[in-house]
Amino acid sequence: MKRHLLYAGLLWIILTAIGEYAAFNAKFFTAGAAAEAVIVDDAFRLLMLLGTPVFTFVLAGLVYSVLAFRARSESIEDGPPIRSSRTVTWLWLVITSGLAIFIFFNPGVKGLNELNANPNADLVVQVQARKWAWKLTYPEYNVTIEDASELVLPVNRRVKFEITSADVIHAFWVPAFRMKIDAMPGQTNVLYITPNQLSASSQNDFNLRVQCAELCGTGHARMRAQVRVVEQSEFEAWLAGQ
Amino acid sequence: MKPILKGILWAVIGFTGGAGLLTLVRLALGMSLWDLEPAISVGYIFGLTGWLLGVGVWDYWARAWFGLPLKKFEANGLSRYFSFNLDHKVIGLQYLAVFFFMLLTGGLFAMLMRLELMRPGREFMDPAVYNQIMSLHGIFMIAVAVAVIIGSFGNYIVPLMIGADDMAFPRLNALSFWLTPLVPLLLLSSLFFGGWDSGWTAYAPLSVTNRTGQLFYNLAFMTLGLSSIVGAVNFLTTVLTKRAPGLTWGRLPIFVWSIIATAILSLLATNFIFVVLLLATLERIAGMAFFNPAGGGNPILYQHLFWFYSHPAVYVMALPGLGVVLEVIAHFSRKPLFAYKWAVAGFLGITALSFTVWAHHMFTTGMPESRTAFMFTTELISIPTGFIFLSALGTIWQGRLRLNTPMLFGLAVIVNFLIGGITGIFLADVPTDIQLQDTFWVVAHFHYTIVSTQIFGLVAAIYYWLPKFTGRMYSERLGKIHFWWMFVTFNTTFLPMFWLGLNGMNRRVAQYPAPLGDVNMWVSLNAFLLGASFAFFVVLIALAWVRGPRAVSNPWAARTLEWQTASPPPHDNFPREPKVVGAPYDYGVPDSTHAIVPAADSGND
Repeated sequence: MKRHLLYAGLLWIILTAIGEYAAFNAKFFTAGAAAEAVIVDDAFRLLMLLGTPVFTFVLAGLVYSVLAFRARSESIEDGPPIRSSRTVTWLWLVITSGLAIFIFFNPGVKGLNELNANPNADLVVQVQARKWAWKLTYPEYNVTIEDASELVLPVNRRVKFEITSADVIHAFWVPAFRMKIDAMPGQTNVLYITPNQLSASSQNDFNLRVQCAELCGTGHARMRAQVRVVEQSEFEAWLAGQ
Repeated sequence: MKPILKGILWAVIGFTGGAGLLTLVRLALGMSLWDLEPAISVGYIFGLTGWLLGVGVWDYWARAWFGLPLKKFEANGLSRYFSFNLDHKVIGLQYLAVFFFMLLTGGLFAMLMRLELMRPGREFMDPAVYNQIMSLHGIFMIAVAVAVIIGSFGNYIVPLMIGADDMAFPRLNALSFWLTPLVPLLLLSSLFFGGWDSGWTAYAPLSVTNRTGQLFYNLAFMTLGLSSIVGAVNFLTTVLTKRAPGLTWGRLPIFVWSIIATAILSLLATNFIFVVLLLATLERIAGMAFFNPAGGGNPILYQHLFWFYSHPAVYVMALPGLGVVLEVIAHFSRKPLFAYKWAVAGFLGITALSFTVWAHHMFTTGMPESRTAFMFTTELISIPTGFIFLSALGTIWQGRLRLNTPMLFGLAVIVNFLIGGITGIFLADVPTDIQLQDTFWVVAHFHYTIVSTQIFGLVAAIYYWLPKFTGRMYSERLGKIHFWWMFVTFNTTFLPMFWLGLNGMNRRVAQYPAPLGDVNMWVSLNAFLLGASFAFFVVLIALAWVRGPRAVSNPWAARTLEWQTASPPPHDNFPREPKVVGAPYDYGVPDSTHAIVPAADSGND
């Protein structure tokens, strides 16, 4: 019995070590391009680090049991009549409850607080979604772009997006910013994003795109616009050209 | 087939009468005579009534209300399965046939989707057609996942397991079954009316402004809901009132507990999907504005009501499969089910908590910061779910594991559902959900939870109980080939979808960014292999059913009651009423018995 626990425990430790090494080092997402992306990426990695030992615990227990306890004879033989164990069940309850409550606070509540921390913005962009295009308005500059093929933003400026819809529900999503919110008819939703990486002009990062993420009919998949993050001066020059 | 033809005839008469009545009313009101969607809706109510009466409710049930003699039932033969039969074993197999048909059809839709998704651009089908296929795949599989295990094995096995001769309300049971063939019929008919493109979630306002096919989805899902509610009442009453003497709550097999939990969820939650689809239908056909901001409505209301059913429904899909798994794991580990009471608490805890988490599907709708509360309840639900894992692991530990095909599928559920559970944490935590919501991460996650519990659970159940309902045995060698085929290709299909989600692929799209093409090609090829494994499974089971070797009545040497009678069981299940004297899973306990089944000729006492 002790021997089985030892071997299964060893298997768990080895699997966990491999898993944690991967969780620490893996690049889970394509490159982030906004300050908010860091919060999401960190939250993701933390959950991976916490989830790995849970996954490997069940996996090790299961794989070891199949290897060590499989019946070797054709005749049917019963195992030991263990109905339960007070220690094991209560330990399980305490540990799983502790983990569930821990991840509620961190990264859950902590990440939400970080995302909601700053209600100030340097720039307002109004987004109106409709089947199947984006209308972008920069109200401080009196610039409106119908059927936008690109969303141009200045780097390192906190942008307040005011998002609504003219018909059905859409969703405003920029994968590289890790931010998403639904565009609802009759309601204006707000999203704060601080782009912090200039877009390379030579290549289009496919995740630096506005993508509709809520099913909205035939044109849903292609309801996208390229995002271009530029220096403030270039941004102002671009505005002036509109 | 005669009852079915009669049902169709009465349905046509009812539909025509209903639509005609509406035309008269419109004439009286001075409105235009014909409006398609109201005509279909009103016609359907009368057509549905006609169908049920024609297929058997009139002949075998309603005639008595009018003082007429009831018709006699078909006693034997294949025609029982095509008629209004009251035997829970017949009804169980009827359910299995309808929902296995839906499973295979839904699988074909998935194959068509993966065909289109092999390459990034527009390949084989118009995006509008893709959306229809995707919507059909979704609702077909939801219907399967809601009903296949509880409908077929709940019906077939639960009365046997509790030592009853049938369900508490056999006629209600037949009624709940005969509602179900209309579900695939309506859904497929939608294609003649332009299909519908709003997915299985059918969010308003899209679902109140799109083509008439949408109405068929509404009617189909409402019909399925009616069937679920009627079935749930029956299961609860059966377990409450028909248990054999001595079958106390603490001696109930765990599969029965999982069905109790599922029935509670179905009974309490299904009303909400009925209501929300009724409101959406009224918005379509009667100009109401429940979800339309221009008329004072609110589109988020739809989602609240929808998920108030559809999140509990996730557990309607998961719990019966987990019940099968714990059942199989105990019998094939030859040990008592570890921490039985904790497993029961797990099922009931999930049932209670699942009513408190619905808005976690709506973290990106812009609702006020109540997200924290729903994040909390969602994290909590992992605790009772953990009890199921505790029970499974504790049972196999130090067991004498017999790795027959049902056991292999049972163990596979533990692995796959674990992946589903852990990846769900990322969706429960708001900061990560903001990014992952509506991406392929979600697609991968819910296939890992629902396919692993309900479909792997179904396959385990079919292998495990096949000797019971056919009296024949499958080929263990082919079963193991099937297991590895399905288990490996399931994982090679759905694991890469997590990567796709992380790398910016959103769901419900026929076209996607080109850099994601290679992984999608891999996923498609593996999906085809996974699809083929179901064809292999059908052949394997058909072979066993028709000409497999005769099975002894209790081939697994299992202790529970369904194995203590002939295979297949006689009409009244047991020769005489069984007596339960001990726990169901006390393997290894000297001189212990779960139940005594007196032989038919053991005296007249």
